[in-house]
Amino acid sequence: MTKRIATIVVVLGVGAACALPLAAHHSFGAEYDVEKPITLTGVLTKVEWTSPHTHLYLDVKDEQGTVSNWQLEGYPPVALYRLGWKRDATMKVGDTLTVTGWRARDGGTWGHSREVTLPNGEKMMFGPPAGTGDGGSAPAVDVR
Amino acid sequence: MTRALVAAALVIVIAPVHAQAQTSRGTDASSIPRTAAGKPDLTGVWQGGSTQPGAWAEANAGTGVGGSGRDPNAAVVGSSNDRPAGREGAPYQDWAAQKVLEAFDRRGVDDPTSKCLPAGIPRSVMLGLFPQQFVQTPTQLVILYEYMSTFRVIPIGAEHPDDMLPSYMGNSVAHWDGDTLVVDVAGFNDKTWLAGTGTFHSDALHIVERYTRVSKDRIDYEVTMEDPNVLTKPWVLRSTLMLREATRLQEYVCVENNLDLDRYEKLIESGVDFTRQ
Repeated sequence: MTKRIATIVVVLGVGAACALPLAAHHSFGAEYDVEKPITLTGVLTKVEWTSPHTHLYLDVKDEQGTVSNWQLEGYPPVALYRLGWKRDATMKVGDTLTVTGWRARDGGTWGHSREVTLPNGEKMMFGPPAGTGDGGSAPAVDVR
Repeated sequence: MTRALVAAALVIVIAPVHAQAQTSRGTDASSIPRTAAGKPDLTGVWQGGSTQPGAWAEANAGTGVGGSGRDPNAAVVGSSNDRPAGREGAPYQDWAAQKVLEAFDRRGVDDPTSKCLPAGIPRSVMLGLFPQQFVQTPTQLVILYEYMSTFRVIPIGAEHPDDMLPSYMGNSVAHWDGDTLVVDVAGFNDKTWLAGTGTFHSDALHIVERYTRVSKDRIDYEVTMEDPNVLTKPWVLRSTLMLREATRLQEYVCVENNLDLDRYEKLIESGVDFTRQ
């Protein structure tokens, strides 16, 4: 029992030292639902390289053959630039991509992206992890 | 439940010890660049909240931390509006703590940065997704923050003016305490969050920052926040800044295409419950 607690403490302690504060422009949970993970494969129709967030648009065909255009939020362009994304080169309109992420709370055809699989099979991060900006696992103050 | 509470309490006790060990390991005084006057030169592009040395891409590879990871299964990391991991709760007065909790339950909808307002101090210093550039001369330190395109011009050896305009980033003056640059910040407005969702303050906020370059790669950062209107005692946080050679600040115009406020309003109108379960 004591040993188990000690193990947990060490793991969390290291995690605390390694955790890097992102600069969330907004709360993930205010717009997106972590309980609704999505994996979409479709054709890229547009990319907005804008701040505070980029957006990629994907035509996705459902099982009935109906095509919907999804809007998926990502990092700001400055962050993507530092990750090695090349505007209009890394991915192009017409490319078939697979995007993982989480759906919007209202269940619409928009969501938060995490990873993009490019036509050559390479995977690159396009957005931050789920939960970014939600306030962490504990409020800033202790609950009394 | 009890077990979890004990573990959480131990984390709070142990985390500072771990941080101290990190500091010792990262110290290499002989590699610290110095000015002609012999003071540490803080000039450079820095990433807040990191302990990883190296260039931006390599230091941020692997987990998605800060944005460059390749692992979609990476653990969720903290953000600039998260409570710093392993730290004791912020010492808010009871009424103020309730207000902080209300903001937490709204999941950051009221976050000033959602409106593209400046992130303030110390939030601008401790975030990791955007770099900050220090330019030091014998008489001043200029800090440029890519996030929200804010800046601080900090005279070294000067006093605050008598007529400070209340501002998001405050009025900063600095002096040397040995090899540590101590920055005194006052003259704030009451429109920013300090460090964590809902961590509001009044215009009586007074901050003292200590920047200590402990090696070529690393600055240890300590910040003490005082606000008698909302806090019960000074609130102290510690973090680190890591040198990111070859990284250049870019343009970040937050208001360019900020869709989030409209979305929040629609979600609130539709009855979405943001309260944490």
